[in-house]
Amino acid sequence: MEIPYTTEVRPDTGLTNPKLGIWLFLASEVMLFGSLFSSYALLRSGAPTWPVQHEVLSVPLAALNTVVLIASSVTMVMAWASLAPHTAAVRAGDGEAEARSLKRYRLFMGLTLLGGAIFLVVKSIEYSDKFSHHLYPATNNFLGLYFTLTGLHALHVIVGMIVNGFLWGPGARMWRSEPERFANRIEVAGIYWHFVDVVWIFLFPVLYLL
Amino acid sequence: MGHDVAAQVRSYMFVFGALLVLTLVTVGVSYLRLPETPAVIIGLSIALTKAALVAMYFMHLKGEKPAVYWPLGLTAFLFVGLLVSVLLSEGDHLFGTEFGDAFTKE
Repeated sequence: MEIPYTTEVRPDTGLTNPKLGIWLFLASEVMLFGSLFSSYALLRSGAPTWPVQHEVLSVPLAALNTVVLIASSVTMVMAWASLAPHTAAVRAGDGEAEARSLKRYRLFMGLTLLGGAIFLVVKSIEYSDKFSHHLYPATNNFLGLYFTLTGLHALHVIVGMIVNGFLWGPGARMWRSEPERFANRIEVAGIYWHFVDVVWIFLFPVLYLL
Repeated sequence: MGHDVAAQVRSYMFVFGALLVLTLVTVGVSYLRLPETPAVIIGLSIALTKAALVAMYFMHLKGEKPAVYWPLGLTAFLFVGLLVSVLLSEGDHLFGTEFGDAFTKE
């Protein structure tokens, strides 16, 4: 059975199904992270004392990771922009446009994957530094929240990298057979990746700077 | 379509620059060691601005269809409701009110 409305717009929503689907999924993600941010606000505002966060955590490493994640969002959107203008040419059988745009797409998607990998390496350096100083999730409420929030976020980075890795490798075969559908996939995977970036944009000041 | 995407790519580069500048600003302001309330207001305002730029341009939310705006609006409303209701339980502590005492006093 063919999946409906993957490329053509559904008349009642005005959207393709994957576009509506990713936004509904992200709405649930907002509530997931929202509940944890609310827990942070409650536990911090109710605490008689709270650690000085920038003394416990490394602001330079987190700032580096912020720049890395923002840059990977830019390369992600560039990966989509490498494909989107050429869908009609590829469908018409223009082999040169197909190969050129795929090469450019793979470059930008590869850089996005590299950004995700650098982010995780820096995060693991931060984690191992905490552990070496005997700072664990059970040490206090702040560290419990820090590890829960950043751990859940890192899990989202890993999931995004698995999806992007598939789309960089075997998934890219769709570019030749169904170019519009593949470009839509990259846009939808990008919307998820940018959401992961947005979550970090809030985590950085809340956990490190304030 | 080609022309549209070329224009979009220019806007992506502008947004990239703005995000980098705002990241620098938020780190810089944190070194001023402001009192908690202004620090939170400034820090979260910058984060909200950055998130809005990413959502509008990278996530193509600018000019998106109402079928996306409505569920997202509802989600934002529910999230704010969750945050406020949770914080209200600490209202006396945060804002110096004494509503909690009404339940404990004879």
